Amino acid sequence: MRKIKITLRVLALLIVGTVLHYALPQHDIVRVVNTYQERQDLNDWTSIFWARPDDQSATLINRDVQFIQTVKKKTMLLGFIPRDTTEVMVYRNEDTGWSWPFYFKFDTANLQTEADDLVSTSEAPKWAVMTHYGWRNEYISAFPNAIAIRPVDGPNVTIIPWFNIVFFIGLAALLLFIRAMWRQFRQRSVDPLLDAAGDQLDEVQAGVAERKGRFSRWLGTWRKKDNSRLPPE
Amino acid sequence: MTFVRLVVFGFIALSVIYLSISVYSRSVRKEWLENEFDENPPEGADDAMRDDYIAKGMTEYNNSIRPKLIGLVYVVPIVVMSIIIFVINTN
Repeated sequence: MRKIKITLRVLALLIVGTVLHYALPQHDIVRVVNTYQERQDLNDWTSIFWARPDDQSATLINRDVQFIQTVKKKTMLLGFIPRDTTEVMVYRNEDTGWSWPFYFKFDTANLQTEADDLVSTSEAPKWAVMTHYGWRNEYISAFPNAIAIRPVDGPNVTIIPWFNIVFFIGLAALLLFIRAMWRQFRQRSVDPLLDAAGDQLDEVQAGVAERKGRFSRWLGTWRKKDNSRLPPE
Repeated sequence: MTFVRLVVFGFIALSVIYLSISVYSRSVRKEWLENEFDENPPEGADDAMRDDYIAKGMTEYNNSIRPKLIGLVYVVPIVVMSIIIFVINTN
């Protein structure tokens, strides 16, 4: 029972962690190489890794998506530890609109223009911080969605994830508040009910016991007198 | 259409939160009143006096600004949403 409980908790934590890792903003230090637009077929389950199209194109199974090709500084441990090596990273650039995840991004075309403006070569690199969410997966063609890009002086800038700090403090406060609410609810509403139910159960059981006592006494009058129970003469 | 969906489901979710916080806040206030009465009961206190005291305290609470502040549950997310929209879509 304990093991099942622990397993379920770890599983729940993993699922929540995965969703948060997908949806919360992350920052990459990148150098934009190129931007392009490509037609994408979005008719299978991998469409969950793409923005939901708006009403006009909701019935389409393929549409044009904008991409930003970059060279990115590698990091370790969720981006907290920078490394010297680089890798390539391709971002999609799509509106999230009014739906999940709630970035309310409508400026795809502007962002594409900004990215175009920052295109540079490895000889004369222009570094920028790319804010994005999502995952890159080559096998199912998933791309992180670019949210914003801002130029920085060099590749060795420190980025403080303010939004995530505020988000996790808020989440902790929310969980503590829900816990307090639950405790109050249990103490004031559930426990008295359970007490009352317990009392009633006691009464019922006492009633049953008494009736049983009467019945067995009546039965006893029909039994043959058991002499062995009598005190020896 | 997605906007309508967001507004409808957001309103439902916020209403659930609003109702739970209202119930919680009333419950905490009532417990506080009960404890206050029990700690310092006046001379010849009986159940009727206790109920009266609590009812009066609850009316006072209902007329105060505190239960109205719970309405911020609807305001804060809209403000946060507006800030996010502004920050994300300006360069």
